[in-house]
Amino acid sequence: MTRKVCVVGGATTPFDYGPTGFESIEGGAAECIRETQEDIPEFSLRDIDLMVYSHFSVHFGHQLAAEWIIHDHLGLVGLPHYRVENGGNTGGSALYAAALAVMSGHHDVVGIVGWETMDSVTQSQGSEFIAMASDIRYELMVGGIYPIYYAAMANKWMKDNNVTEEDVATIGAKNRNNAMDNPKTQWYRNENRYITVEDVMNSRLISYPIKKYDCCLMSRGVAFVLICSEEYAKKVNPDRYATIDGMGLSSCTIRAGDRLNFPGWTEQYGPNYPEMTEFGACRNSAEQAYKMAGIKNPLKEIDFGEIHDAFSTSEAQIYKALGLADENTIAQFLRDERTHMHSDIPMNPGGGLMGYGHPVGATGLMSTIECFYQITDMVPSKHLSRKTEVPDAECGIVNSHAGTGTSISNFILRRH
Amino acid sequence: MSKILLKKKDREKKVEKPFFTERKEYRPEGVKETGLALVGHEISEDGYVMNQFLHYDQLYTIRHGWNSRFFKGLLEGKIWGTRCPKCGDTWVPVRTHCWNLDCNLQKTEWVEMPLKAKVHTWTVAGWSGRSSLKRLPIVLVYGVVEGSKVAIANELHGIDPWDVEFDMPLKIVFKPEEERVGAVTDFHFEPADSWEPSPMNEEKERIKHLIEPVYDWVKTFK
Repeated sequence: MTRKVCVVGGATTPFDYGPTGFESIEGGAAECIRETQEDIPEFSLRDIDLMVYSHFSVHFGHQLAAEWIIHDHLGLVGLPHYRVENGGNTGGSALYAAALAVMSGHHDVVGIVGWETMDSVTQSQGSEFIAMASDIRYELMVGGIYPIYYAAMANKWMKDNNVTEEDVATIGAKNRNNAMDNPKTQWYRNENRYITVEDVMNSRLISYPIKKYDCCLMSRGVAFVLICSEEYAKKVNPDRYATIDGMGLSSCTIRAGDRLNFPGWTEQYGPNYPEMTEFGACRNSAEQAYKMAGIKNPLKEIDFGEIHDAFSTSEAQIYKALGLADENTIAQFLRDERTHMHSDIPMNPGGGLMGYGHPVGATGLMSTIECFYQITDMVPSKHLSRKTEVPDAECGIVNSHAGTGTSISNFILRRH
Repeated sequence: MSKILLKKKDREKKVEKPFFTERKEYRPEGVKETGLALVGHEISEDGYVMNQFLHYDQLYTIRHGWNSRFFKGLLEGKIWGTRCPKCGDTWVPVRTHCWNLDCNLQKTEWVEMPLKAKVHTWTVAGWSGRSSLKRLPIVLVYGVVEGSKVAIANELHGIDPWDVEFDMPLKIVFKPEEERVGAVTDFHFEPADSWEPSPMNEEKERIKHLIEPVYDWVKTFK
């Protein structure tokens, strides 16, 4: 019925914040494609038959339809193009849209360019722009910004699951320290130091229980992913491509307070779910992806993941939503450092949003690219060492996440 | 804050048009719609990089439409909810159509809610958006207004931030009438009169420790 979809290449610009070395969005897109061409010399821009653009906020971009600037800069005039926007899950949703286009048989080779320039305004103004993706009539006005909503959700989740501030702080340290092995990451380029759980615990309060080093970075960056049919992948990069064996996309309420007992969820998962604590759209989209990929036991069958660590607390919540642990095991799962490089299911070896950065429209693509590098043995040539290589990785999960869990996608990538 | 009463003019006959008879202006001093304006630039020492500063300001009209009664109610010190006449589900924040798929987007009816709520979850913010920085630290709670199936976010006042707790009873308190603007900031939560804080414990000490620098920081820009 449907065709196999492959990830065959991709690259990001370095992620940054502030005046360091920025090309321009169209220049950044061109550089990402040039790097992809170095990896796949057989790939020509003439092969692309659809471009999907992934960009969150025109508030940050101060330019409507900025994809038109990029598209014509790339010399692709005449080729069909459109932009996907879906909050923090813009990258995942663009990948979803592009994959559907290949799956349908209507397109063979689809390029996805994602970007965000969040340093066009101050950090606090930026926080407020992002919060405009909450319901501004009810939430933005009352001092709300995303870290505060997440803190309120995480506070109850941690109590309900017996998870402590230290337990989640391990994630904040892990992802930044992973980023120290990855030269394009914002943490490596701007801070360039290893941190401890204590550093996370002692960092300034953002909103209890979330502190500065529990939060992702505000970033500027561009990313490019090339997806295609298997025929094309075999032609241009026969030894190094990944197949998208499963994918899922799901949704939840915009206001977190509306999901205590939402009828649609009650119908599917019973009463009091997802509550204000769980990411129902993550569980639901993961279930879709697992079913499509034939995964019965994710903890055993998935080797690693690149997931949406907007906050260290939300990475922990995502572990549970992905079915890696339940309410009885999640605290111990965190304490055993199961998702660190030395353990059985490393999460965010590329650095994640806390280490690599979170230029919203590029983020889900960055996660896809890092997952692709692992699966195609490209980490040694892209990272600084093999410390962040997942040995013999066969199967990875990519997770992209928006709002207060309002839109979430999951993808299963496998070595072909 | 000035209030202008407008004279009624002839109504348009073909379509139902609201005629606005009351308008208030409370624009902070210095807020102007300049539209697009380049206000400066900078060039790097080596001459290779240029940044330009763009100021963009725009007046928006938030058209509350069918949700208007909720926001107008705030001006009057009332919390309006909506209820589905079919299934009885009731909401604050309001829904003008029912969320139950079986009710098939049934239009809901307005119902005045009691000024009582309960904490569902909470956080103590030490950082916020630009327009809220001076109010830090902020205790933000998601409170369930009595009778509602959902929680609404708002600030909790009248409490030491570390004393907030799950399930604590709340009352809804409005600003003085002349300060209200028809936004959710017209009200906040306070602990119900019957509520007493529990003794200090390890978590409360931790929160107190975390927000101490916030108090100092806020003083620097007040």
